[in-house]
Amino acid sequence: MVELSELEHDALVEIFNIGVGQAAAAMSGIVGEEVTMSVPSITFLSRMEAAQLLEDAHRRGGNGQPGGERICGVSQHYEGAFQTEAILMFPEDKSLEIVRLMVGESVPLAELSEMEQEAMSEIGNIILNSCVGTLANIFQHELHGSLPVYQVGSSDEILDATGSRAETVVMMLHIDFILEKHQIHGYVAFILDVTALHDLKEQIDRYLARAMGQH
Amino acid sequence: MPATMPNTTVLIVDDSRVSRLVTRQHILARHADWTVVEAGTGEEALAKAPELQPQLVLLDVNMPGMGGVAAAEQMRKLLPQAHISLLTANVQEATRKRAQDLGIGFMEKPVTEERIARLIAPLEA
Amino acid sequence: MTDRLQLLESVLEAVSVGAVVLDGDGRIVLWNRWMSRHSGCASHKAVGTDLFELMPELRGGRVQAAVTQALRNNFSSLLSQTLNRSPFPLYASPAAETRGERMQQAVAITPLTLADSGRHCLIQLTDVSMAAGREKLLREQTELLRMQTFSDGLTGIANRRAFDVAIDREVRRAKRSGSMVSLLMIDIDSFKPYNDHYGHQQGDQCLIQVSSALQALLQRSVDMLARYGGEEFAVILPDNDPQQALQIARTLHERIVRLALPHEYTCGPDKQITVSIGVATLAADRHGDVAALIGAADHALYAAKRQGRNRIVVAPPELL
Repeated sequence: MVELSELEHDALVEIFNIGVGQAAAAMSGIVGEEVTMSVPSITFLSRMEAAQLLEDAHRRGGNGQPGGERICGVSQHYEGAFQTEAILMFPEDKSLEIVRLMVGESVPLAELSEMEQEAMSEIGNIILNSCVGTLANIFQHELHGSLPVYQVGSSDEILDATGSRAETVVMMLHIDFILEKHQIHGYVAFILDVTALHDLKEQIDRYLARAMGQH
Repeated sequence: MPATMPNTTVLIVDDSRVSRLVTRQHILARHADWTVVEAGTGEEALAKAPELQPQLVLLDVNMPGMGGVAAAEQMRKLLPQAHISLLTANVQEATRKRAQDLGIGFMEKPVTEERIARLIAPLEA
Repeated sequence: MTDRLQLLESVLEAVSVGAVVLDGDGRIVLWNRWMSRHSGCASHKAVGTDLFELMPELRGGRVQAAVTQALRNNFSSLLSQTLNRSPFPLYASPAAETRGERMQQAVAITPLTLADSGRHCLIQLTDVSMAAGREKLLREQTELLRMQTFSDGLTGIANRRAFDVAIDREVRRAKRSGSMVSLLMIDIDSFKPYNDHYGHQQGDQCLIQVSSALQALLQRSVDMLARYGGEEFAVILPDNDPQQALQIARTLHERIVRLALPHEYTCGPDKQITVSIGVATLAADRHGDVAALIGAADHALYAAKRQGRNRIVVAPPELL
């Protein structure tokens, strides 16, 4: 597992905060209300630990429902300078809440309809492109991003569905989404192999060097 | 290099150390003789401001505690003559308008040379 | 090569999706027949024009942001129909255009990197009006079903959910208008032994008969009979004072006695189905709320059971 220094970690958090900030501005334009998003923290985990983290988060926040809540995941594949699968994740009922808030409906149906799933896909598309875009711009690298894919399932299913590979690390961003006094916690997971992780660290260091005026 | 007031002091307020670094670097690259002071929270900035009397204050909007907007409002009362500007990646009409009403500037993140130049322009006049 | 090109062109002109390609400067280099047909703008007029000059309303919106993302960052974007109803001025038919009814669209904007001419942007548009219409219908039907589930499946009278809504409504209304509301809690005596000995099917029949009998006596539309629990019923009586409520309780009680449904396994001396009833009234000047009213009626019901069942007890007014 790659360890980041405090400064490197700070740089990453700041970069992603800029990314989600821009995404929030875009969503605010869509819904006509003030939308705020931030990344309070980032953790690096194995795929199993990441799935566990999601499970635990649900149990703490949920109604103590047995059988675990389902997660809505919107994933996009990026490739180019490096490869990663990026997945935006919210518990199913929170996804419902976000979509209903964005669309402005209050029909209390239990599940996301197909049209709402598409709306969730677009929300994921905006957030992920914004995050990765900021990363790519700051690192002056180019990546090609795919269209979003919507999935719902257990945390294991969402994180595994990207295809199992031995040496992968999950870079997990904790996300806060605030709209109309609703505060919703979600996650963005970047699945990276060891090479990509090293690339990332290298890029952060170069960015920091530029930032501190050393070229 | 445009002529500037001597001993111009800039106060950068942001909870991200890296962000403060980047902003500091861009300012010093343009004016190596300016004094740049940092604060990690709105509260810290307000405590430092009276003695410091900065000509320019840059505040990140997204900070724990009182946050950038509230701190900017207070700062405006403390330093009626200073150039105060909010920094944010989340540029929304509502925030823009709020800043305007307070007589506060507005700069979009990420911080770039160009954006800093535009921001500093009034002080260089 | 020309054959293949001709084939591809024919396909592009024949498909039922809109295909637009922009070059690196945002100028239209491809505009297929579907686009011409539904935008009212012919291909020869569109090609060579800046998309945002051809359709100025797209400026500053999600479409422009997505095109920029594709051309600059090499990213793909999805514009859902839910969040972006009809970004492009497209119409299903000339008639729809006259009516001003835009086509509901799903839009995908993806980058295209062409070997010789660099980065381009592909915009695909799909007509999703039918799907949207279907979803709307499904929603309406689901709402209808939800409304129907305010009735108890077995007896057909109002269910607990309906009761909860109604009691809340009636208490608030009573407080607003300075009037009173009474509540009866009715419980079938020794119902568990009845079920155990006669079987659940007969138990169900018993519930149906009891609820029918009760319902038949509650003719005022404002009075509500609801199945509160397994063998428990509630009756909301707006504008009924304690005397009136007691009178109705007596009538209901007697009606069940006259049903004379046999019950060999009851604790009481009469070997038939009987009910215990708790009565409570929320007077106009009292401060009690829904919970207090239900609590008082329950309290009275328990008292009736303790005192030997098959009787009515009125809650003391101090409880509210």
